[in-house]
Amino acid sequence: MKLSPISLLREFLIRLGDHHRESAAALTAVEARELENIFALLVLGSFIGLPAPPTFLAVELLPFMEREIRILNIRAEDAGDMLAEMCGMLGIDG
Amino acid sequence: MKFLFFTGKGGVGKSTVAAAWGRQISRQARVLVQSLDPAHNLGDIFGVTADSGRKKISETLTIEEVDLRKLSREYLERETRVLGETYRYLQVLNLDNYFSVLKYSPGIEEYALLTSIERTLNAQTGFDYVIFDTPPTGLTLRFLALPSVTLTWIDRLIRIRETILEKRYTIGKIRRPMKAGETPAEERLAYDPGEDAILERLRALRENYNRLNGLLRGADCSVVLVFNPDLLSLRESCRLAEGLAELRLPLRLLVNNKVTERNRETAERVEQALRKAAPGVPVERVPLSEALYEGRETVLYRIENDIGERF
Repeated sequence: MKLSPISLLREFLIRLGDHHRESAAALTAVEARELENIFALLVLGSFIGLPAPPTFLAVELLPFMEREIRILNIRAEDAGDMLAEMCGMLGIDG
Repeated sequence: MKFLFFTGKGGVGKSTVAAAWGRQISRQARVLVQSLDPAHNLGDIFGVTADSGRKKISETLTIEEVDLRKLSREYLERETRVLGETYRYLQVLNLDNYFSVLKYSPGIEEYALLTSIERTLNAQTGFDYVIFDTPPTGLTLRFLALPSVTLTWIDRLIRIRETILEKRYTIGKIRRPMKAGETPAEERLAYDPGEDAILERLRALRENYNRLNGLLRGADCSVVLVFNPDLLSLRESCRLAEGLAELRLPLRLLVNNKVTERNRETAERVEQALRKAAPGVPVERVPLSEALYEGRETVLYRIENDIGERF
């Protein structure tokens, strides 16, 4: 299907808008992910020797925490390369 | 419904005093005496077998020995089932059984105790008084502190969770709405508090513990501290009185149990020290009954007469 110059221009502007929106949301997304990581650490902190909430509270929340545990796992894996993490966050990829 | 907790060091006579009290009040009201002590002897005091169930002593007096191990087991089975359902794929690998290790988690016994009390308080059991004969000091303080400790954690976790949802909402607002059939580059997460299962669970728990805390600190709750005229009992009772004050639980009476002619002087000293630890709380003295061998009725009768009516 051949696109008219106007639709091509519209598509280009939408993509450009998406790019700016993503850049604007990126830092908030990192913040939200870190908060989820902290949440998981607080609830399941006893695994790594942190003071933990009463056991039953962790047990009550555990069934709903699949995403948080996944993030916790990813963050633990990435913890060894904090420089790359910071560069990624600030958009330095050159 | 009024409820009383009889607390104190192991062996001071909590169960006997609680039983006597229950029997006395049962002359005017419907009473349930519930033993939460893992080492039950409530049934023995009344000379009946109450093996982990309720037993009617008279029309207005019922006793119950709570099986804590069974309660812990039931709670864990329920939670393990939810876990098993959530992580159903583990059943394929036959790994779901490994969740059963949760039963060795610390703090489960206290939680089972609290659940038992909560269940009794919430159930419309048709009693005017519920008397709890509690386990020795350490466990009692831990389970009475549980609602406050848990609430502190729940409040903090709710705050973090709400911030996470706010952030997700901001992200959702910055990104343009999806067109029909379009697939997002990144996972779009729920930001509506009503859709977040964790926040909903936390809020339900907060409501539950707030109500329980309100009941425990309210006008209908009384804590009675039973002690003996000896220094060990005094030390532990002082710790218990301090713990109760810290938790803002209403200590309303001190019972100096097993007082004899020979230990009267020590009894007075212990009473004085406890009056300092719990100012303004009245003290009742109960003489040591030598009549244990004559039959249980005599023991209960004497204690009833000595204490009189207070609640």
